[in-house]
Amino acid sequence: MSTRTAHNPSAPPAIETRQLRFRWPGQSRTLSFPNIQLQQGEHLFLHGPSGTGKSTLLSMLSGMMVPESGTVDILGQSLGTLKASSRDRFRADHLGVIFQQFNLVPYLSALANVILPCQLSVSRRTKAKPDARAAGVELLGQLAIPEYLWHRNVTDMSIGQQQRVAAARALIGAPEIILADEPTSALDTDNRDRFLDLLLTLADQRHCSVVFVSHDQSLARHFHQQLALENEA
Amino acid sequence: MSRVRLALSLATASLWYRRKVLALVCLTLTLSVTLLFGIQYLRTEIRQSFTSTITGTDLIVGARSGQLNLLLYTVFHIGDATNNIRWETYQSLAQDQRVDWAIPVSLGDSYRGYRVVSTNDQFLERFQYGNDNSLNLAQGEWFGERFDVVLGSGVAKELDHQVGDQIVLSHGGGRTSFSNHTDLPFRVSGALAATGTPVDQAVYISLDAMEAMHVGWESGVAIPGRTLSADTAKDRSFTPDAITAVFIGLQNPIQTFQLQRELNQFQPEPLSAILPGVALSELWRMMGQFEKALLGISVFVVATSLTGLIAVLLTIQAQRQREVAVLRAVGASSGLIASLYSLECTVLALAASGLALFVGAGAVAGLSPWLLSQYGIQISLRALSANEWLLLASVPVAALLISLLPAWSHWRQNRKQGFGSDGGG
Repeated sequence: MSTRTAHNPSAPPAIETRQLRFRWPGQSRTLSFPNIQLQQGEHLFLHGPSGTGKSTLLSMLSGMMVPESGTVDILGQSLGTLKASSRDRFRADHLGVIFQQFNLVPYLSALANVILPCQLSVSRRTKAKPDARAAGVELLGQLAIPEYLWHRNVTDMSIGQQQRVAAARALIGAPEIILADEPTSALDTDNRDRFLDLLLTLADQRHCSVVFVSHDQSLARHFHQQLALENEA
Repeated sequence: MSRVRLALSLATASLWYRRKVLALVCLTLTLSVTLLFGIQYLRTEIRQSFTSTITGTDLIVGARSGQLNLLLYTVFHIGDATNNIRWETYQSLAQDQRVDWAIPVSLGDSYRGYRVVSTNDQFLERFQYGNDNSLNLAQGEWFGERFDVVLGSGVAKELDHQVGDQIVLSHGGGRTSFSNHTDLPFRVSGALAATGTPVDQAVYISLDAMEAMHVGWESGVAIPGRTLSADTAKDRSFTPDAITAVFIGLQNPIQTFQLQRELNQFQPEPLSAILPGVALSELWRMMGQFEKALLGISVFVVATSLTGLIAVLLTIQAQRQREVAVLRAVGASSGLIASLYSLECTVLALAASGLALFVGAGAVAGLSPWLLSQYGIQISLRALSANEWLLLASVPVAALLISLLPAWSHWRQNRKQGFGSDGGG
């Protein structure tokens, strides 16, 4: 397991966006976003009221949506120049993703959900030490998922447990960036704090940058940077 | 390679997860494929069984008539002979160098609706059907005494006669006859084993007995005082003047056409000689339209259940948006998701086809003895023909084709799908 290395100023930033604008098909309103510059290993807190395009921003950062204008550079790679299939591969290699809820594939066990990225990406598989399965088991242990649930159907788990399995999946194979879209909104305060603590600790150990979206301003103090999205008048 | 394995393992897990709904769809599909396949199999079998109603016989010779007519009344016992042929003609045929054997057949009487065929022991020895199967006795023995009768298996089963029963034959055809040969009752000496051919639906007596029965019946009805009783008939010998037809087997089948031409131009009396195989094929061509319609209907049944399958898959797809969003976020390409849909649909159809094969084979193996004994239909398990494999394979292929519909609809939706299942916010 890698420990946090000293910041290398010559490494490309984890995320760099410029002049991002997005418009939903069939809608006249255009969303525009402030520029982001996030160094590798740093964490970003993203907040703002509903409808300001937080999820849309994450979709563009992950390469699942294409901005109307502006550029997204992830780890020095401009997503706009990649084809859809290359963006999928890039996402599998370099990004971990946690949703608000329904994070897991219902017909796979907890462990199978965790090692899914290693099956889709060779680089994630090689970075998972000693192998995908062992890394998955270690992460599930670190995220306090009881062992008897590892091979069970994920639908038997509580929301908190499901979110922690999703965190394990995002972390496995040490991707450079983790995008988390309000992953704590369905959790109570205790669970929320524990989840955030575990996520950031494990991300630091792997030198991952975390982009974390939440309504909850009180979480902002855990992050290096914060960014507020606002409704345009 | 790992992509393919991932897709396979995901598809398997997904199918297993939805097994309850999909089992029903699979069952529907299995039943309809079984129907389609069963009809295809049966029609081949029935055609085979039909065209081998009589084998080994090179020529059937009767009075001058059309080939179908001659075939119908001699083999299928449908309709009546146009005329008889002389006993001398039969004798000269039987003595012909080229002729290996000849079975004389005389028709005209009936027993409770079943045809009475009067013949000799050549019939038991030489008559063949199916894959050159010979006739066998299921019980008792071939007629030895003059007034013995041997029953076809269908007659024995239907009328529940045992060896030793006394029966009275009727004059002329038809189920109910007002003129019965009551003064000359027959004793059942044996019953033939089931053949699945019209042989099962007739009773067999000797030519002598037929002749003896009709002494005093020259005008068509019994003239009192002129008919014989069992005792008076016993010691007299009877040689028929005429018979209805002769089944001929040749020494060398190459001479079939030569002899056929000769017989068709036979000077002493007008004859027709037919090749039973050719006549049977012609008859089947007339009746074969019906089976094509049946096959067409079963194709529609399969199409209907494939449509049902696609409806279920599209419904399931709507429930799968979240799962697909997760897979996409983890880095699965739209191609992988689309291939999941196609794979699942094809696997279902493959399973249904495989099951149908099992069900069909089981049904044929299990039911064929019963069908033969109960209905006289001979169906046996055999290796599938190339066409049948093709028909079976067409179901998964059709499933693969229709699965492109949900795959395509995913691909279209995917362009709008972003982070989270609700598509934005």
